Amino acid sequence: MRKSLLDRELRSRTGVKIVSEILKRTRGHAGQSTMNNHADSASRRAFLLTGSCMGGGLIAGYGTLGIMAGQFLYPADDGDFGWQFVASLHEIAVGESREYVAPSGARVVVARQTEQETADAFIALSSVCPHLGCRVHWEPHNSRFFCPCHNGAFDRQGQPTEGPPAAAGQQLVRFPLKVEDGLLFIEAPLSSIARES
Amino acid sequence: MTRVGQWLHERIPVSGQQLRELTNEPVPNHLHRWWFCLGGTPAYLFVVQIITGILLAFYYKGASESAYESVHYITHEATYGWFLRSLHKWGATFMIAAVILHQIRVYFTGAYRRPRELNWIIGMCLLMCTLLVGFTGYSLVFEQLSYWGATVAANICDAVPLVGTLCKQMLLGGAAYNEQTLPRFYILHAAVLPTTMILLIAVHIALIRLHGVTEFRSESEHDDAPRHFNFFPDHMLTELMIGLVLMILLSAVSTIFPATMGPRADPLSTPEVIKPEWWFYVSFRWLKLFSLSFAVLSTGFIVAAMFLWPWIDAALRKLTGYEEVSVWIGIVATFLLVGLTVWEAAVTH
Repeated sequence: MRKSLLDRELRSRTGVKIVSEILKRTRGHAGQSTMNNHADSASRRAFLLTGSCMGGGLIAGYGTLGIMAGQFLYPADDGDFGWQFVASLHEIAVGESREYVAPSGARVVVARQTEQETADAFIALSSVCPHLGCRVHWEPHNSRFFCPCHNGAFDRQGQPTEGPPAAAGQQLVRFPLKVEDGLLFIEAPLSSIARES
Repeated sequence: MTRVGQWLHERIPVSGQQLRELTNEPVPNHLHRWWFCLGGTPAYLFVVQIITGILLAFYYKGASESAYESVHYITHEATYGWFLRSLHKWGATFMIAAVILHQIRVYFTGAYRRPRELNWIIGMCLLMCTLLVGFTGYSLVFEQLSYWGATVAANICDAVPLVGTLCKQMLLGGAAYNEQTLPRFYILHAAVLPTTMILLIAVHIALIRLHGVTEFRSESEHDDAPRHFNFFPDHMLTELMIGLVLMILLSAVSTIFPATMGPRADPLSTPEVIKPEWWFYVSFRWLKLFSLSFAVLSTGFIVAAMFLWPWIDAALRKLTGYEEVSVWIGIVATFLLVGLTVWEAAVTH
């Protein structure tokens, strides 16, 4: 016990010696500087040069880290979308609609509007309200899609009829469609956090 | 001095005199009334939130596939879990109410005026942090309302000009709510925002100590009445009393109205009736009344005006020559705040 105390005291004394030596040297240098203005100015210049180099290095280093952190936090992709088969063209008659369930679980109403055998003849409405992203649902008694978040309403073509979407002229987003070899395809989300049941 | 005292003094070289100077800041006489002591209330509740939050973090899992189940475990299976979660939930409600009341008090007594403008801005930052920490905490439960609340909030961000889309992407970790979203909310709620708040509270209190508390004298007060009293022990006792009352109130409310759980979040179906927490009723009603871009821009304008209020108030007083102009604006704003909140609370849609 006694020995360890002595050791500590010795170490501390050695430490004191080192610190006093550094102080002495610094003071000596400062003392010379005060006697010689030129030396003082050179020292300040040296400090500014070294300081700005070191400061610049630190800013560059931490700046790079900041950019890396920003890129790290920025999402890598916007989620997977893919072309999915919906139906053969002859399966949906003009005026009819079909409910398509995307791999993510999202339900999409796909309706045929004209006889044309191209994608323009069809409409696939997203169930996501363009106002603030809530899910709309079809109200058969009112013949409208209704968004419960802010009372937005849309007709069967996805055109806004009431609420903030009507005020802002926001219609339901359409999913991209394409026709290949007489088959209708939709570009729909492939994944979601919706729980599979 | 005893040997223990001497040992301590050697290691912590602070004298009794220095301690007395540190704690005995003269407190203005109006702080004898408890409703002027609302600044200490959110600080006390913040400590409650940190302690209960740390305890809840032992069981909470911040991922969309397990968050709801972990909250269910805390609420229904962990010993006293229901009580700690309720304390955390009610603590948040009380804290937000206390911060708003404190700010209203500061506003109506003009305590933000020169030279305390910077402390008002720090207070505003603390208000924003409190609302954000409330929002992220509410989202962590991953029930239907919290999920859709977060979706709506992120899309509101998207409507902000220039930086909106970036903010939304950074908040959600993608274009829409996905598996990266909940961990981000968790980190913001449990690490980033509390740390920021601790730093802001430290600067807030330091500036209060440097400037002193604004003196406020009522007309009924005699001129020869004492203007100050001691922080220690007089004001300390008031704060302790408020702390005790809050503890009893918080425990009682948590026991009588424990925190419940709604249905698990379903990203494919928005509930028929959707409401945020009560402190966002105002903005929710505002969004129903106006188009999205107007609602977002006007909210931004109001928040910016709140931040810059000390200077706006000074300019208005100079312009009108009327000292109490801010009081009338404050009365209108408070009626609007309460009116829109009650309106949203009273109706289904």
